[in-house]
Amino acid sequence: MGKVPPKPQKSLDITAYPAYNTPTVEAKKISLKVPSEIKSIGKVSSEVLKSLSSCGIDEDKSLDIRLCTEEAVRNAIVHGNRSNKDLYVKVDYWVDKSRFYIEIEDEGAGFAPDRVPDPTGNSSILKESGRGVLLIKKLMDRVDFNEKGNRIRMEKALG
Amino acid sequence: MAVKTESNNGLAICRVDGEINISTSPDLKKTFDKLIAQKTPKIVIDLSKVTYVDSSGLATLVGILKNMRSYGGKMRLAGMSTKIKSLFEITKLDKLFEIMATEEEAIAGL
Repeated sequence: MGKVPPKPQKSLDITAYPAYNTPTVEAKKISLKVPSEIKSIGKVSSEVLKSLSSCGIDEDKSLDIRLCTEEAVRNAIVHGNRSNKDLYVKVDYWVDKSRFYIEIEDEGAGFAPDRVPDPTGNSSILKESGRGVLLIKKLMDRVDFNEKGNRIRMEKALG
Repeated sequence: MAVKTESNNGLAICRVDGEINISTSPDLKKTFDKLIAQKTPKIVIDLSKVTYVDSSGLATLVGILKNMRSYGGKMRLAGMSTKIKSLFEITKLDKLFEIMATEEEAIAGL
């Protein structure tokens, strides 16, 4: 008997916030809105790192979060907003002692995350792009996109 | 990010210091474009002083490897931290690149 093919996964609508581990009451929401230019990537990650540092988060986890934040902001700027400086990227994040949450939204048409080619395959391994989403999925504990595909939400345990 | 290159008998040792990210990758590419234009037969990239690599950095290294292979050149990476090596493992680039623990090991037998 052949294997039953897996059911296609539907992206979750992250508008419904309680579907996630809701940040604790101590978690302060920090919001940023940055223009679609490359220097915005470092600006967002610097703010995130400052917040992580003030919570005493270890360097290893901070590096993972920095990388995933930068990859997601870069995707929002380059692929979402197509580097149009009139369009903005909105970032909301929460940090408490046990978890980090971040939502990054662009003003683009969105994309289908399940259609991103596997960059580790023989036909893709030599490509010079397409690894950002894979890194995000592997380094964060939970990653979801909204239905439109213009907003990513990522979550990582810090404890 | 800074790169110091030492060339001798067809071997270029490139010691990278700092971050390889979306802002610094173009400069890194320019450094290697020169070595590739000269068809340098062997290149060792010492990453022991590299503190951060993003997907642009990984892509830049893949591009350098592809360009070297186009003329039969050989390239090895050396000295990367455990953290950076984990990014190569996640992306399976550890199967594509020759990754050695130290610069000396990378030079030996290249």
